Amino acid sequence: MPRLIPTSILLACVLRTSSMASSSETLFHEGTQAYAAAEYSSAATNFEQSAALQPSSGTLQNLGLAQWQRGQPGRAVLAWEQALWIDPFNLHAKTNLRFARKVEQIEAPNLAWYEVVSSWLPGDWWAWMAGVSLWFAVSATMLPAIFRLQKRTWHQAVAALGLMIFLLTLPAHLGVLTRSRIGFVLDKGAPLRLTPTSEAQVLTRLGAGEPARMERKRGNFVFVRTGLTAGWLDLRQFGLVSPSS
Amino acid sequence: MTGISSSRAGVNLVAADARRLFQAVLFLGFCAIASRAQQPPQDPLINLMLSQPPIELNAPVTATAAFDPPVVAPGQLSVYRVTFNALGESIQFPAELPADPQLGLRRSAEGEVMQMGAGSIVPTTGFNYRTYPSSVGEFVVTQFVATVYGKAVEVPAAKLTVTSSLPPDVQPADQIVLEIPETNLFVGQPAKVRLLYPGNQAGMVQAVSQVQLIGEGILADQAPISQRIERLPLPQGNGTVPTYIYETIITPLKSGKLNVTAQGFSSGLHTSGPLVITGGAITIPPAPPRYTLLDSAPLDLQVKPLPREGQLPGFTGAIGVFTLDPPKLAANVLKAGEPVELTVTIRGEGDFSRLVAPVPPSATGWQVLASDPSITISPTPAPVPPPPSPSPGPSVPTTVGVSPYVPPGSASPTPAAAPPPIKPGYLPQGAATFHFTLIPVSEDVRATPPIPFSSFEAGRGAYVDLTIPSLPVTVNKGLVNADAAAVAQAEADSGEEEKLVLSGLANAPGRMAATLTPLQLQPWFPLAQLAPAFVLGSLWVWDRRRRYLERHPDIVLRRRALQALRRHRRAARQAARLGDARAFASSAVRAMQAGSAPHYPAEPGALVGGDVLDVLRTAELADGSGRAADTVKRVFAITDAAQFSALSPSSDGAPARTATDAPKELLSLQPDIEEVLRNLEERLCPA
Repeated sequence: MPRLIPTSILLACVLRTSSMASSSETLFHEGTQAYAAAEYSSAATNFEQSAALQPSSGTLQNLGLAQWQRGQPGRAVLAWEQALWIDPFNLHAKTNLRFARKVEQIEAPNLAWYEVVSSWLPGDWWAWMAGVSLWFAVSATMLPAIFRLQKRTWHQAVAALGLMIFLLTLPAHLGVLTRSRIGFVLDKGAPLRLTPTSEAQVLTRLGAGEPARMERKRGNFVFVRTGLTAGWLDLRQFGLVSPSS
Repeated sequence: MTGISSSRAGVNLVAADARRLFQAVLFLGFCAIASRAQQPPQDPLINLMLSQPPIELNAPVTATAAFDPPVVAPGQLSVYRVTFNALGESIQFPAELPADPQLGLRRSAEGEVMQMGAGSIVPTTGFNYRTYPSSVGEFVVTQFVATVYGKAVEVPAAKLTVTSSLPPDVQPADQIVLEIPETNLFVGQPAKVRLLYPGNQAGMVQAVSQVQLIGEGILADQAPISQRIERLPLPQGNGTVPTYIYETIITPLKSGKLNVTAQGFSSGLHTSGPLVITGGAITIPPAPPRYTLLDSAPLDLQVKPLPREGQLPGFTGAIGVFTLDPPKLAANVLKAGEPVELTVTIRGEGDFSRLVAPVPPSATGWQVLASDPSITISPTPAPVPPPPSPSPGPSVPTTVGVSPYVPPGSASPTPAAAPPPIKPGYLPQGAATFHFTLIPVSEDVRATPPIPFSSFEAGRGAYVDLTIPSLPVTVNKGLVNADAAAVAQAEADSGEEEKLVLSGLANAPGRMAATLTPLQLQPWFPLAQLAPAFVLGSLWVWDRRRRYLERHPDIVLRRRALQALRRHRRAARQAARLGDARAFASSAVRAMQAGSAPHYPAEPGALVGGDVLDVLRTAELADGSGRAADTVKRVFAITDAAQFSALSPSSDGAPARTATDAPKELLSLQPDIEEVLRNLEERLCPA
């Protein structure tokens, strides 16, 4: 009987994961059909729900297209950026972003060199690479001595390689962390305020899709810094590429 | 002689007076001219304004209110009209009218018109409300007050009678009929709109002035395409009535469901612009027109956004059915650096007034400049056959959006059906000519660059390529400004980037992630790094321990001996419980041997009692009792005797004692043996 409990928990987790995946895929296909029928609002809703259940690059790409067709360039840009966050190799999302920025005359986020490096691969890859390379290097250093193997040159080479990879991933880690605080203005004319209140003086109005970096949060407002200015923005009008950060 | 001289003197006198008078007049005239020349000439516009009659603002403001018609059948339209002789901006009209809620009055129009009065212009402002009462009875909009020019003005009461048995002479409501052939449109697609204002069978007809097409997201042309009066058949088929027809174009600017209504003022035959009258005699209204605010029932348009997919390069918003004439180049043999004009004409059906020329491309070896297109629209728009049946995609409906109407003066009091619909595709035809100035900056070019251009055909729901093709040219050596060449080349380099278009839908969800939060920020990931750290750390500790034990083998020996001692002691206890003296003795001996072996070191089996005693001797000296030694001696003696006497017979003839014959008294020595073993154990355990 005690052996059945972990087995049943594992089975429940597997079943839940598979049911989530199947409902996410169902929503994806429903969204595709709605898009083909030019029902862009319905398509956007389906893609949004599918992405909420199972974030994936293709779903977010389609969500961006549906939002674009609805005339929501800010939300479209955010969706495509999130698609690239998951899969930087998604050329369609990249092209769509360039198209949208050209049409809407909005800037791309200004990335530091380590942020550019971090965008070459999915963020998770950097984390795994760092972990694996670090412990690989440590293992290559320690295990030969522990198991009384004769130290050879290739042991040291492997350790050095692992350490080198680890050190090279460090800037990318920093880039992932800082890039996770980049977001985009969702609504056109979103007011940037002096203080985090809805009655505060409006410093300027931001365009949909304009990038900004979140620095801190207070209540329903976030303090963001754009290329030209900084101020408080309503949380509902700002979408982070990585929402949980 | 005297008479003659006196008369001559008289004549001379008169002549002198006349001369003086003439000089005086001449002088005064010069003065007048001089003074006038000193005044600055007045602005002709000011003169024009001053010559206009003033707007009557001081007359007492009166309001009229009435239902049109005052008697209707259930479900029929009646228009409640309130009119003021005042400027619309000065009227504060109440938002809610004191009317029976069953009437369901809904404001349908508000407008202002200026009428010529006696020496002044009289403003007239009208408010229209529509109602389709469903229940029989009498409904009254009671008297209420509106504020005009800051003063209260009473609006009289008006009564509407709804009855099932309508008198035969009741005329239906005076209204405009709004017709839009296509109600399924794309954003930016021009649509023809037709307003009809039928006359009566007596031939009397009025025009409609100040026509407005009202709707959110709708751009309406201010000037009509055409306005005319022609005879249209009555719905019942009993003859024709002269009908005023006003045609214009609207363009939806946003997507979704848009609502369009039309309004205007009946104005006799006063119109702005030409009015074509066809189809027989009409009766001109005898009196000056009574400007009555007219409106139409609302029409819905379904507007879709232009599809992003399939958008071709060079699309500048042209929507319609267009064809491209072959382009014309002013010359085919050119000199580098000298401009040449490229002219191309686009013809077809669409809104040419808003046609935007394609963006000049950046081409290697060329500098291309564009000028504003010259546009001509054909004066008499001719119906164009509707486009071919659409491919699967957004379809063009063949139904016509028409608001119901009844021609005034018609015999039947019941609402009549709409006039025949307009065929789709009935938009003005025209042509636009694009002019481009091309300057070859290199002698190597062999043809003009193609200029991307495309349009959107609403009927097919697809983009049509209208790229202006390249033409072969020969470029001879000429004077080329180095700066121009460099600029042209730089533009060409920057312009050769890929043409960006939106992608299509992804067919599959693609690469997945559990969450968008980076792994580094998820709490489990740093904890997961502890696992390899733990494993490697454990291995390292194990290796250290192993090396330590290798350097100190006595520790291992002691540990093993301790384990063996304890094992044998457990066996001895077990044997004692079972009363097996032999096993007890054997286990006790082994335990003592195991506990003593590390002190030598030696194999435990090789030790004898004396060896054990030597180990214990120090302990005995410590506690001062020889009890332990005695116990050891007795156990070993008994065990040895039991073991070895089995091999040789006894001298007195008694049967040989075997090992199974170990005396039971050994079991009584268990406490002492336990004490010995405890001492040995203590000596084995490190301090």
